[in-house]
Amino acid sequence: MRKNTTLMATMSVAFMIGLSACNQSQASEPEEASSSQVSVDSLSLDNAWVKAADDGMTAVFGELKNNSDKDINLVAAKYDDADQVQLHETLEDNSGGMSMQEKKGGFAIPAGQSLSLKPGGDHIMVMGLAKPIKPGEEISLELVTADQQSFPVTAIAKDYSGAQENYAPGEADGEGDGADHDDMDHKDMDHGDADRDEMDHGDSGDH
Amino acid sequence: MRIATRWTTGTAVTTEPTSRDASSDSHGFSRRRLIASAAAAGGSGVVGAVAGFGVGRSGAGGRAEAAPSRDLRGANGPITEPFYAPHQSGVETPPQAHAHFLALTLKPGINVAEVVRWLRLLTADAAALTQGSGPLADSEPELAHDPARLTVTFGFGRGIVKLAGQKSVPTWLGPLEKFPIDALDPDLCTGDLLLQICGDDPLTLAHARRMLWKDSRTFAEVAWQKDGFRRSYGSKAEGKTQRNLFGQLDGTANPGSGSEDFARIIWGQGTGRDDAVYSARGEPPDNLGAHLPEWMRGGTTLVLRDIAMNLDTWDRADRPAREFATGRTLDQGAPLSGTDEFDAPDFTAVDKRGLTKISAASHVARARDGLGPEIQIHRRTFNYETGAGEEAGLLFASFQADIDRQYLPIQRRLAEVDLLNEWTTPIGSTVWAIPPGIKEGEYIGQSLFEG
Repeated sequence: MRKNTTLMATMSVAFMIGLSACNQSQASEPEEASSSQVSVDSLSLDNAWVKAADDGMTAVFGELKNNSDKDINLVAAKYDDADQVQLHETLEDNSGGMSMQEKKGGFAIPAGQSLSLKPGGDHIMVMGLAKPIKPGEEISLELVTADQQSFPVTAIAKDYSGAQENYAPGEADGEGDGADHDDMDHKDMDHGDADRDEMDHGDSGDH
Repeated sequence: MRIATRWTTGTAVTTEPTSRDASSDSHGFSRRRLIASAAAAGGSGVVGAVAGFGVGRSGAGGRAEAAPSRDLRGANGPITEPFYAPHQSGVETPPQAHAHFLALTLKPGINVAEVVRWLRLLTADAAALTQGSGPLADSEPELAHDPARLTVTFGFGRGIVKLAGQKSVPTWLGPLEKFPIDALDPDLCTGDLLLQICGDDPLTLAHARRMLWKDSRTFAEVAWQKDGFRRSYGSKAEGKTQRNLFGQLDGTANPGSGSEDFARIIWGQGTGRDDAVYSARGEPPDNLGAHLPEWMRGGTTLVLRDIAMNLDTWDRADRPAREFATGRTLDQGAPLSGTDEFDAPDFTAVDKRGLTKISAASHVARARDGLGPEIQIHRRTFNYETGAGEEAGLLFASFQADIDRQYLPIQRRLAEVDLLNEWTTPIGSTVWAIPPGIKEGEYIGQSLFEG
């Protein structure tokens, strides 16, 4: 299994925790940032992966782990090469399928516990990709908590055909501000077959 | 002590000691001495090996004491073979019951960076699957939970090595010379990456192949694929020689896992131990791997031959003809000059008529008579039969440190004369560089692409 954070990222997180006077004992002394204690991040995304995509939207999964003794509220995620990133939950719709919608208030991870981000469940939604995320590529994201701490994480891109939930009625379609609820407009952002064809990488022209 | 852990698998020191006991010992080591010295060498782990020997050689009378019983606990399901190790698993690993050989060809235009991404994905998949957990994005992780000795062994063809630079490509990495016996199908002679996926559970194996394929289809296409089988886990004691579809014991002369012979013949380097025991063939050189490029240190070479076996014409040969062609008996696998499978063949022994008991044209004579101790290989073979009246054969995976010095001298002689050629036809042939094993955090092939 790949470690989800690089050493550099881990150290900077620990350093940041020290600066923000987090009450976690391991991080209370900044000089410890260079010791083995740096492996304890308050928030980590273990076994992180992202569904490879040429364009449009995709999602990030993994084990969101609160390693601290305080509850953490994840309110946002940032990815440089996309228009928008949202925290999503997935609900059963009335037709037997799954619909996803933005999780109001973000993800709450109680102290010492984990939240599993997986296809068909909670996930980090990436919309409006500026460039393809190719299989095997490692992307970097920032996880932002309610108290404005930022945690860099990485995810490995996997060729994956699932995670094709539809938007719940009335939910944002990604590009815009959510004001456009016209069903016809869901087509291009839908996780449906049209999108999957692009995911199939049958066209090797870009290699 | 890596050697010691090898021993816990309970395989023989070397499968072909000279003779059965000290009293009949005419040349070289006796089996008893072999066991004694091995036990002294390896510590507690060796006990299993010795015990295995005892069971294996005790004969039908001894076995009758214990009534057959089924394993009702799923004992083999959780058993794992190491992934992070100096050598890749699936070479020295006692052969599992099933194998998928999956050869892949790079899609046009795939560059080095993409190959590295691919190998990182496959490495992570193999590392998880072989240890019994689903890799990232596994939709059916439950199918990974019973690894049953799953191994994934990577082999590199010329095409993938060339991407790292022409100077990294060994001269031997390419098609073998043409042999008169060959009837090669060009479609079975290609591929840039080989995945040898072995395990005792075919369901686990199917899942592993599916995961590895899903992470490959962006980068490569299937060149060819073949499935093979041996005895199921539990049918025969570990270390017993398997039989091919001709009914012959296949692999009697193989060096045993963990032996000094294996280290020298396959990994190409002596271990330096001072209590080494060798087979009747004598002491192989300890530097057969010296020619390998730096990036292959800890690796070896694989010649994979797809040998079609004509079961219909073999049926026309009666037992005496079959044994004459092989130079061994079919029941015990003993050389026609002896009585036990592991008796060293005596090519000078004559019968009452004054004829050699082992024909000079027989398979065993052609494969070893007069060949020095360096000319040995490790054959890790799997049978295949696609259906009644359909294709049957042997996936002949031959591991050796030096193809030119070890494999080719044997192959040339067999191609020239071997009575067995009457019923066998090589239809596929590929050559692979087996890169070394890796440490956690590395990927298979890192020594090639970042060496």
